[in-house]
Amino acid sequence: MGEAEFAVIGTGEVPTGNYPERSEFEIAYTVARTAIQDAGIDKDEVGAVLCAQHIMSNPDNDYNTEMVFGRLPEAIGAKGCKVTCMTSSGGASSYSIRKTAEGILRSGETDTVLVVHAQRFSQFSANEQAKYFSIAGCDVEWEYPYGMTYNSLAAMITQAYMTYTGTTIQQIAAVCVACRKWAMLQPNAMFNNKEITIDKVVNARMVSYPLTTLMCNVLGDGGSAFVMTTAEKARKVCDRPVYFLGEGSDYSHRTITRANMMDFNQLTAFLGPIANEAYEKSGLGPQDMDIFEIYGSYPTINLMVFDSLGVTEPGKAGELVEAGETSPGGKYPCSTNGEAMSFGHTGTGCGFAILVETVRQLQGKAGAAQVPGARFAIENCGGGAFMDCHFTVMGSEVP
Amino acid sequence: MAGEKIDIETIKAMLNLTDEDLVKPLPIPTQWSQPFWDAAKEHRFVLKKCSKCGNVDHPPYLYCTACSADEHEWVEAAGRGTLSAYAINIFGVPFPFWVDLPYVVAVVELPEGVRMISNVVECDHEKLENGMELEVVFDDVTDEVTLPRWRPVDESRRG
Repeated sequence: MGEAEFAVIGTGEVPTGNYPERSEFEIAYTVARTAIQDAGIDKDEVGAVLCAQHIMSNPDNDYNTEMVFGRLPEAIGAKGCKVTCMTSSGGASSYSIRKTAEGILRSGETDTVLVVHAQRFSQFSANEQAKYFSIAGCDVEWEYPYGMTYNSLAAMITQAYMTYTGTTIQQIAAVCVACRKWAMLQPNAMFNNKEITIDKVVNARMVSYPLTTLMCNVLGDGGSAFVMTTAEKARKVCDRPVYFLGEGSDYSHRTITRANMMDFNQLTAFLGPIANEAYEKSGLGPQDMDIFEIYGSYPTINLMVFDSLGVTEPGKAGELVEAGETSPGGKYPCSTNGEAMSFGHTGTGCGFAILVETVRQLQGKAGAAQVPGARFAIENCGGGAFMDCHFTVMGSEVP
Repeated sequence: MAGEKIDIETIKAMLNLTDEDLVKPLPIPTQWSQPFWDAAKEHRFVLKKCSKCGNVDHPPYLYCTACSADEHEWVEAAGRGTLSAYAINIFGVPFPFWVDLPYVVAVVELPEGVRMISNVVECDHEKLENGMELEVVFDDVTDEVTLPRWRPVDESRRG
């Protein structure tokens, strides 16, 4: 029945965290080499090199300009490169850049595309970062003058979601605990050496009621890469390629007050059909998924996305998480790299990290975090002030 | 919910902030939003309504987001709304807003069919409730700029 056109055959990643001495160029070159080696191909087979945007720029040596002007293929010696470009849609970049890669592959220009993300926040001062992120998440004319921030946006959504669904603050905190448990198994996670408890998360310093510091993501430097090919080539060169089996997308808004589903108890009505489209196109359903790789960026968004996956009744995801069902060893392994809360938030890279982790899991290369026998997963990302949503069903086989 | 307060002067010294870093951002109107801010300055609350299809847009854009027409009028809005979601900022806000902590940011739903982000002021934080009725108040933050904010209609909820 099913058909797959494209696949990922190799990935690369560096640790996420505060590494001011490690430049974004070093990250990009490193993950590019690792991904090519992991794919088992020669670098000269790469016919297109695509980069994601670096958040905030250093005017003295701007990564974005360098990459737009073709620095990466030269630096890694990709002699077969014909096309290079930069793509960005914030947290949804892993999806939009993948669609760009698919277009290039489908054109026949090349059968091998390298996709790279790199980010270094730590070169900017705390004030610069705070300014950037308070403005990035909201509308500068209509929201920022009121003291709106990314965290308050997530806090409002949390407040409304809890009110409408009866989800408790302990259940919201349970998402952070589950993410930490996964991150403890991930060598590249930013927070992987200290367990947290629901009590600790709930009682941490309040940032924007009802969110505490441990419910907010933390920015970190990091990066990852993957090699995409046609499914045909993937079968020839790779023992265990990971295929894109079906996907769904939708765009909602820039300004949160214009969201399609502004009643936050109705978000599932926006997200659910997108997930269903991905399932339908893949010929698989929630019961076939071994892993649910969600990029929520905040615990409540993670729950809302999980509500939409056909596993639980909408509004009940918190109960499953609190019962440990999304944690290591649970029935519904979810966000197995620890997500933005514990893996670290690398700007446009969060979605990349989730995609790369999905591939690792399905290739059986996830180390201590490996979900035994994982064959199929649904992966998710979105960007902006929750402007859009993308779901992709991926598999190590074509059903 | 309060948590220990960190003085802005301490942060200023710690992070080497300048006075400029503490200046509050003001709306920078566009050619198509200027009438909203002009009206606010006169303590009137107006919204952009399409003359062709009647769609009300907020935030307003260059032309109607429903039918793409240019023709429009600025209509007086009721100045009433309901609270559909809120957050109480306690810590970690942009430095210019540090002096206001704790403060409420909210999604206000207007009877004209649009929503806006604003602050709920003159309110007992313990008495915030989804669905509560709000009325607009005008805050002249500078000689040039007035921000519409919202307060509870019910006086027993005011703080």
